[in-house]
Amino acid sequence: MAGLELLSDQGYRLDGRKASELRKVQARTSVFAQADGSAYLEQGNTKALAVVYGPHETRGSRSKSLHDRAVINCQYSMATFSTAERKRRPHGDRKSSEMSLHLKQTFEAAVLTELYPRSQIDIYVKILQADGGNYSACVNAATLALVDAGIPMRDYVCACTAGFVEDTPLADLCHAEESGGGTSLALALLPRSGNIALLQMDARLHQDHLDALIEAAMTACKGLSKVLDGVVRQHLEEVSVLIRD
Amino acid sequence: MIKTEKVLHLNSSKGRKVRVVREHYVREQVPCGSSLCQADCHNDGKVLSGDVTHYVVPDVGVVRDFLEILEFRELQGIVLTQTAYQTVQHTRGRRQYNRLRALLKDPRHDCVLFANEFQQYCYCPRDKGESQDKWHTRNVYNAAVWYYNHLAGLQPVVMITEDSDAISEFSALNSGVYVISTKEYLLSFWPDLQAAYDLYNSIAQTLQERESEGVEKVYTEHLPAEVLEAGIKSGRHIQGILSVNKHRAQLEAFVRYEGSVSKNTELNSDVLINGAKHRNRAVHGDVVVIDLLPRNEWKGRTMALTEGQGEEQPLEDTQSQPMPSGRVVGILQRNWRDYVATFPPLEAVQSQSRNSQKILVIPWDYRIPKIRISTQQAEALQNQRVIVRLDSWESTSVYPTGHCVRVLGKAGELETEIQTILVENCIHVPTFSEAQLREMPVNTEENPWQMDTSEISSRRDLRETHLVFSIDPKGCEDVDDTLSVRTLPGGKRLELGVHIADVTYFVREGSLTDLEARSRATSCYLADRRYDMLPAVLSADLCSLLGGVDRYAMSVLWELDAETLDVCTVWYGRTLIRSSYQLHYELAQSLLNGEEIEVPELSQLKGSQRDQKQAELLQALETLTRVARHLRAQRDKGGALELEGVEVRAQLDEEKNITALVPKQPLEVHETVAECMIYANHWVARKIQENFPHQALLRHHPPPKQEFFNHLIGSAKARGFSIDTRSNRALADSLEQAVDPQDPLVNKLMRMMATQAMSNALYFSTGACPEEQYYHYGLALDRYTHFTSPIRRYADVLVHRLLMAAIQLEEKGSLSKPFASNKELEELLLYQIFHCSKPQSTELFQCLYFRDKDSHTDERCVADAVIYAVRTNGFLAFVPQYGLKGAVYLKNREGQVVSVDGDGRCEWKAGILQRYPDRISTCTSTGTHIFDLFDHVTVRISVEPSRCHADSLCLELISNKPHCAVQPESQPAGRGRSELVQEVVRWAEEASLQAEEERGRKSKLSREEKQFRQSRTPNLYVLLQEISELALLDLSVCQIRNTEEQTCTASS
Repeated sequence: MAGLELLSDQGYRLDGRKASELRKVQARTSVFAQADGSAYLEQGNTKALAVVYGPHETRGSRSKSLHDRAVINCQYSMATFSTAERKRRPHGDRKSSEMSLHLKQTFEAAVLTELYPRSQIDIYVKILQADGGNYSACVNAATLALVDAGIPMRDYVCACTAGFVEDTPLADLCHAEESGGGTSLALALLPRSGNIALLQMDARLHQDHLDALIEAAMTACKGLSKVLDGVVRQHLEEVSVLIRD
Repeated sequence: MIKTEKVLHLNSSKGRKVRVVREHYVREQVPCGSSLCQADCHNDGKVLSGDVTHYVVPDVGVVRDFLEILEFRELQGIVLTQTAYQTVQHTRGRRQYNRLRALLKDPRHDCVLFANEFQQYCYCPRDKGESQDKWHTRNVYNAAVWYYNHLAGLQPVVMITEDSDAISEFSALNSGVYVISTKEYLLSFWPDLQAAYDLYNSIAQTLQERESEGVEKVYTEHLPAEVLEAGIKSGRHIQGILSVNKHRAQLEAFVRYEGSVSKNTELNSDVLINGAKHRNRAVHGDVVVIDLLPRNEWKGRTMALTEGQGEEQPLEDTQSQPMPSGRVVGILQRNWRDYVATFPPLEAVQSQSRNSQKILVIPWDYRIPKIRISTQQAEALQNQRVIVRLDSWESTSVYPTGHCVRVLGKAGELETEIQTILVENCIHVPTFSEAQLREMPVNTEENPWQMDTSEISSRRDLRETHLVFSIDPKGCEDVDDTLSVRTLPGGKRLELGVHIADVTYFVREGSLTDLEARSRATSCYLADRRYDMLPAVLSADLCSLLGGVDRYAMSVLWELDAETLDVCTVWYGRTLIRSSYQLHYELAQSLLNGEEIEVPELSQLKGSQRDQKQAELLQALETLTRVARHLRAQRDKGGALELEGVEVRAQLDEEKNITALVPKQPLEVHETVAECMIYANHWVARKIQENFPHQALLRHHPPPKQEFFNHLIGSAKARGFSIDTRSNRALADSLEQAVDPQDPLVNKLMRMMATQAMSNALYFSTGACPEEQYYHYGLALDRYTHFTSPIRRYADVLVHRLLMAAIQLEEKGSLSKPFASNKELEELLLYQIFHCSKPQSTELFQCLYFRDKDSHTDERCVADAVIYAVRTNGFLAFVPQYGLKGAVYLKNREGQVVSVDGDGRCEWKAGILQRYPDRISTCTSTGTHIFDLFDHVTVRISVEPSRCHADSLCLELISNKPHCAVQPESQPAGRGRSELVQEVVRWAEEASLQAEEERGRKSKLSREEKQFRQSRTPNLYVLLQEISELALLDLSVCQIRNTEEQTCTASS
């Protein structure tokens, strides 16, 4: 069997998208009443649930708290049913810890933590179905949850992946494209300022192509930020209608 | 875009079934790729023409099994659906998939790919419980209906399928969309296309047979691809290309490593694959993965000479030292091509098997196993040569299964044999189509071609300022290179110019002519005809730098210091030239030698004016010779090799019968011209490599593997010479010293052995190779390319474009359009390499010469030979008079050996043979005789005819004394050693120029014959010659220049 052709001669990807097209993004905020903020986001078939608690007093030992800003605590996990074969360990494995750390770094760059000294913000993200771009789905869902919780941020954090096939950058990789072993670059962007919150790439890539790839990922992030903004505004509309009644 | 989902069931890495959900996005706007489109689709790239009677949509099964029928160029308006395309990708191998891709890319085929599964109204999700085949067919049918509606009913659409249910289900649903079977389609729409119909039947039959296959396993199964890949990475398996020993095709095959194998140092030679079981269905040329056998199972290669065909018996006692042996465990890539095979005569067919439907045909190439074919036409096809394509080789079958593609004709007939040779060398030469010829400029007497005024102004005009001349073989039509040399004002500097035909001006990139030239790769010269790479109006007229007419050229001009001959400046660019003299080699050499000779261009002039002109020309030639000697000396210092090839030329009489085979006579002027061409190639290579460090087309010659020199070193030792092969310089020096004053042939033979040790020179793209590998070993140049023969080599056309781009880049700082990327270039080059390396066919020449002669009475069949290698039951000998090599047996089938009596005559007698590293002795009742390496003997040459293969020559020992009528190697007295060596070099250079001979000969054809490319006398057919880029020689040959020379001896 010939290997998968990620980009056909006519410019179609495996799932029928063109190179720069994103997967369908759908999201809702305030899905749980218990938490301070929550959001559910689907990016194609990748489904993520994010919950935010806080800001509140630091739990556990006092020594962890910082005197000038809030501590952000992230926890990432994947549902056992999220992949094609049932996962043994939903969280706490090496990959999950790494992802938690990445999320923490991303949001430390975006949240105005200095407003809440000696306190803590908890972000819990769970992947319900994994189909590529788990990190970006988590970031996007967590952003919505933070907005829902009313925690002040510099900007939305939008994240998207991009890959590189046959001299063409592909935006928003799905699982089949990611697992091929090619380059995959994950980018978290603060779209209005254009600042990069996190940039991560695993495979090798020729230096000449890096700019094109980052450019493609940035465009994708900006596109996403519009969608997220739309979701937030729609939610506000719904809520304000309720309040007026 | 609308998102849907597709559920697939795949096998996971652990072998479990896994349910996978994939997204599937469909959209309204999918380009249809038809010029009749009413809806403004974005059709870029290839578009279906509107002037066909219908469009045809083949079903999945048709594309999968009958792709070859769709490859007929006559079938037009083919809409391939994405469904079918992907099925081919998943179910058939990469080979077939690539063929399908090539078909879609080829602008000469009227077919497009329609992405039906991404079209919102075409795609239908799979129903629950629906079989995959049914779903595919439904999708294809939907696509056909959509296509019909999309074009607003302007064009009827025919769907062809092999599924009879689909025909009954769908045929009545929509008017305008017809669903019929492939057979019916071919019969009703293309009744004239008999070939397609025959091919259809042949494939259909093969498919049917395959279903009713037996189950008994003959071979072990191949390992799956993942296991192989992991094995190669871990070093457990070895990857390489299988090459089958031509003389022992059933027993011995070798695997040569790809890339460097440094891990396992003891494996520094090829690996032997012994026997069909171990070869495990691999065919010559396949990329295979092998396992090494345990050491106690290692075998040696058979050192005995085998006689021709026949079933071979393994002879245990005749093997050499055991060498690493292995067995094939998997095949990474099949490199099957079209093979010519011969049907056996009828008696053989009937006795062959229980089932006379299946026939074993014998391929023309010895290295290919017999092929099993299912056919009902066995009787009609007996003794015919056919083109066969391999389909598969199941582990249950002793022989591979194939099907017959086309019938070439009866074995032994002229047309058949020529076609055979073409097919076997993968040369495909249809006539130029009208569309291609329409692109060509016109140049007739009524409507002469004229130069463009804007072109004239943009080019550097050398018509008045430079004395330009060409030196070519007699009767050459396509002159690609001219030379000029002059002293610049002031006398301090010389200007040397090489002017090459500007083919790229006429052949625009991407034009039909360009594509055709690309797929032909080179011009191809046969004995009685020639297949040009470019249409004749270009190759013989407008591009050809003929004498006395204005022509466009690409020039390289060097300013050299008049004393030291160092390069001061180089100029590259487009020019306008008018060649003043169209000389041929013999004429130029006579001029240089100071002989009184008439230059045809000056015959009109009178007295002093003529003398003055002639003196000017002579002056230029002399300067040129001086420069060339200097350049040669410089390269020699760097370690350029002088190699030796065997080349004879055939003298022909008026009827084009061969009257004699004569070794070539080299002239110094050959080398002069060649040297200038090497120089031009080298400087162009430098230029393009500097400008395009990642995507320049260069040619390199990798250093040979040391173990290939073993034979040479061993043989040299027998004569007391030592050969140092550590570098090309050392090799060149030691070869120069290895001269036997009594026998000049010894040196020549050793150079021939060195030539055999060489690896092939290759084209490559600079982006794909580290810089230290750019080196050209044979020429001792750090960069080299092919620039000087754009009329007959496509690689040169590419280099011309690169050079123009480089000039543009330097002038303007940017390119008007990006040049092909490294990857594209690589792909192109792979193709070029494949098409340029063709086997040598001098043998055919020689066979023809000896065929009509009675070997026992004709004196010309007896010749002097030199022993150059010793085997267990004979030796290999070289016949310098005819330039042929062959085996001489000292032991015949009955076990008798040759005995030599007192006056040297030989007889067969009972006795024994004893073999030593450098000699072989026969011991009979009359005494013992020893044959040493480099001994001279007398042999008789005769032709051994063969039904399925090419005829071959065999040598028979007559006497152990040198042949009395030995023509002493033509050694003009008074030549120094260096000249002698130079001569030798020239021999090698010319060896690859077999083409020339053809050219020369061709020029004698009458006008009518040329026009129809037909020969009237059929006895020449075996005289195939090709421009063998036979790479070993090629290294010294920069010069595939149109040095066509000679052969015209007869005509002159």
